[in-house]
Amino acid sequence: MSNSKIKLTDEDIARIVQKGKSESFGLLVERYEAKIIRYAKRFLFNHNDVEDLAQEIFIKAYVNIQSFDTSRKFSPWIYRIAHNEFINSIKKKAKEPLPLFDLDIIFPSLISKEKVENEIDRKELNKMLDKCLNKLNSKYREPLILRYFEELDYKEIADILRIPVSTVGIRLKRGKEKMKLFCKKIDYYE
Amino acid sequence: MNKNFKKTELTEKVIDKVKSGQIKMKSKMHFILKTTLFFLITSFTALFVVFLISFIIFILKANGVWFLPGFGFKIIGTFFISLPWILILIAIALIIVLELLVKNFSFAYRRPIFYSILIIIMFVALGSFAIEKTKMHNDLFLKAKEGKLSIAGKFYRGLEKSKSPYMHKGIILEVIDDGFYLKTFNGEILAIIIDSETKLPLDRGIDNNDQVIILGERNNNEVKAINIRMIDYQKKSNNLKMK
Repeated sequence: MSNSKIKLTDEDIARIVQKGKSESFGLLVERYEAKIIRYAKRFLFNHNDVEDLAQEIFIKAYVNIQSFDTSRKFSPWIYRIAHNEFINSIKKKAKEPLPLFDLDIIFPSLISKEKVENEIDRKELNKMLDKCLNKLNSKYREPLILRYFEELDYKEIADILRIPVSTVGIRLKRGKEKMKLFCKKIDYYE
Repeated sequence: MNKNFKKTELTEKVIDKVKSGQIKMKSKMHFILKTTLFFLITSFTALFVVFLISFIIFILKANGVWFLPGFGFKIIGTFFISLPWILILIAIALIIVLELLVKNFSFAYRRPIFYSILIIIMFVALGSFAIEKTKMHNDLFLKAKEGKLSIAGKFYRGLEKSKSPYMHKGIILEVIDDGFYLKTFNGEILAIIIDSETKLPLDRGIDNNDQVIILGERNNNEVKAINIRMIDYQKKSNNLKMK
């Protein structure tokens, strides 16, 4: 029984919940709890109520589960709810400024191709992200988390943040550049 | 261990709230209605912007302001003063609202705003010109004159009053040696003086019953014409008749 449950995709479980088996929602909570808490801790590094926020995210996901289109992937959908919740939390606490207007989302850009790093680059990048991520503005921090920790593709990140796919590419590129600068400042390379 | 405990605790908390009825799932119908309403609001906004801009074009053509740029660079100030700025600002605001609404759809937010704005502007421009080519506004104008159009009626009824003191439009009553008599859309008779400096329509002369716009300063009931243009637009319909 347990094995057959594991084989179910997130979308299958969501479909079962939509049909009325509410307790199956627990499976989705179990699958995403660690991911959402990790996302929250990395994005809201200075907040100490991430567990409460995670609970709120799952409650909202349950309340709105009928709006989820099971022909699409579940992860961007729940990350979108999480993103909204985090942004609201940042706004409420006013701990850091949020960008109101961004030229990146207005004009087309050539930096839109999805880049695949090799294993060494990736490991190095993850180490840098661990050390220097909190130095970055939320605008750059969030795409980096979603790309390098949650391993989502550009289109999924675009769906979560509701920004153009090309802007995801720009923010990742600039975010990495800024992060390298910060890492240099704190003598990360030594 | 602690992590696993927390994980279980959160799952338990959420499921307990579900089972106790503290949180309830919104129905599928709720989201269908919400999506339908959103789609209708977006469509209505788009159609209203198209209607509004076609109405602005209709006004500009009816009161002659549309033709002012053709009179030359000197009167560009008059052109800007004569524009229906309130309606234009409403149209711009509605285009921004439309952009915000459209941005909720994945086909729009996945691309830079530049593209969605461009598509909206093209849609609005093409739609407005297409509507303006029909007799819809003329028909509404007639209804407004007959008092059959309650809400938008006053907008249409105010059309015949030109805002520019230098612009006079109407029908040529009689061509005389040094000009012609013009019956304006307000019912006044003006003597239009033509001299060597007056710019006349190049493609054809002027004749009785031609509908024209005259640019020139008025002195009592005389206007020394600087420039004269035909109003082909109003010939399309016999609805805009003289009072």
